[in-house]
Amino acid sequence: MERAKKRAKPADFIILAVTLILALFFVFPIFFALISAFKSNGDILKAPAALPTSFYTKNFRDLFAQSDFGTAILHSILLTVISEVLIVCVVPMAAYAIERRPGKLSAFVYTFFLAGMMIPFHLYMFPLFKEMKIFHIFGTMTGPIVCYVSGSVAFGTLLYSSFLKGIPMEIEEAAEIDGCNMFRTFWDVTFPLLKPCTGSMIILNGLGIWNDYLMPYLALPGDKAKTITVEIAGFVGQYSARWDIVFAGTIISIVPALIIFFSFQKYFVKGITAGAAKG
Amino acid sequence: MKRKRYDSMAIAFIAPAFILYTLFIIVPTLSSFYYSFTSWDGISPNIHMIGLANYREIFTSARFGNALKNTIILTVFISVLENAFALALALLVDHIRWGKNVFRACFYIPVLISGIVSGFIWKIMYNYNFGAINSILKSIGAGNLKQDWLGNTKYTLLMVGIVLIWKCAGYYMIIYLAALQSVPTELIEAAEIDGASPWQRFRKITMPLISGAFTINFTLSLIGGLKVFDQISVMTDGGPGFASETIVYLLYKVGFNEGRQGFGTAVGVVLLFIILILNAFQQKFLKSREVQM
Repeated sequence: MERAKKRAKPADFIILAVTLILALFFVFPIFFALISAFKSNGDILKAPAALPTSFYTKNFRDLFAQSDFGTAILHSILLTVISEVLIVCVVPMAAYAIERRPGKLSAFVYTFFLAGMMIPFHLYMFPLFKEMKIFHIFGTMTGPIVCYVSGSVAFGTLLYSSFLKGIPMEIEEAAEIDGCNMFRTFWDVTFPLLKPCTGSMIILNGLGIWNDYLMPYLALPGDKAKTITVEIAGFVGQYSARWDIVFAGTIISIVPALIIFFSFQKYFVKGITAGAAKG
Repeated sequence: MKRKRYDSMAIAFIAPAFILYTLFIIVPTLSSFYYSFTSWDGISPNIHMIGLANYREIFTSARFGNALKNTIILTVFISVLENAFALALALLVDHIRWGKNVFRACFYIPVLISGIVSGFIWKIMYNYNFGAINSILKSIGAGNLKQDWLGNTKYTLLMVGIVLIWKCAGYYMIIYLAALQSVPTELIEAAEIDGASPWQRFRKITMPLISGAFTINFTLSLIGGLKVFDQISVMTDGGPGFASETIVYLLYKVGFNEGRQGFGTAVGVVLLFIILILNAFQQKFLKSREVQM
């Protein structure tokens, strides 16, 4: 507050100038993708940095005409939404039991879950796909969903456990005295108080699933479009001469992420810092 | 209120997460140790044990040696610069007088986009004939610096690294920013009154107090560097030749393109041990330097 009252000093202008230059470097590639999506291929090649001269939407029409991009969008949405719903059903309950029923078993499960944060996906992907074939979920939407939920357990438990430590137990105890069982107590009393944590969890996981490439590329059925990200990666090889179409696809991938970010910015920041504080 | 005994309800709370996590993370992880001793091709039902042959091949093959070298170069390059940028951005955003939130959002935006999309955008910008970078160089009269940025094996890996620095610096910035904001202002003001210069204040007060954030960011960025995949896949496919083939990319290629998943999982096991060593290093060395408030 005090700094705001002072007059602007030369240092303030230097900081502003440096920050502005760096901000341009960080934003330019996104801006470049955005303008290119509304330009013809010829214009992208001739003047990469020029603004589009008209509201040119042929790229998007071509995108949907030449590929099954609608299916890809649907798949991306379904994978993200269904996984998120299941994650919220499964992970907070586990963290709650670990936190509120301390003991040897809880301590073991907590360590066991957190070990998962160190295991790289690439280590276990070959056996995982074999296992998915045994369960008959390879090549179905269920496969990636189940893996996303399993993959969220480690970080999710960490996030919820550290958040639960800050929630007083008195309210829960009162609810239990009034005759609520653990299930009712958790969902009716505690879960609403975990809203900021759930927000962070949904947003960070959702972004990861929305942007994921390898899992849907390898584990979804091969006969039709997979997800937005996979389609874009496919275009890069296939339509290497039609950058305009690929840029239209990238915009469809970026814009939802940006909208979610600007609507729920504080949850992003909270989730990242809470994860880092404990990890 | 007395502690409750572990009841069946608590077990029911944990069970779904426990079962899924065990079944789809732990079981495949443990079985990858088994497969790493086999010549499994990923398809055939017959799996032959070949003992340590995969590991012997890893430590003698020139291709793995090259992948290891590339991984180390890429990982060190991006970890150092990501942290340098992230800390600089956090300091700037923390001290700026106008537009704090706008700038923070600008630096964070690249974090939101997928690895594939970021790789594609930069691939186009690096393009020799039509890319934005060469045309900017030309327009400022530095046309002789024009390069085939991704095609020249001297630069390929660093060019991929730049994309990752651009994409991830904002993430680490958020962590540094939170740490900076937790430094008590009284300490800084007291030092100011005692006549400490801005550099001294940063070096003697701020730095020790944010070293926790430094530890976590450095570890996260090292592990992130080891796992880079999407950008390599869309920008270079490990090439030209093997110039940008990292351990993870080698693992993927031998597993899916060359039908040698036994060997691939052995590479994955080596990767896991590298990650475990880095984590142990973080626990032991970097943590001991931290100052607790």
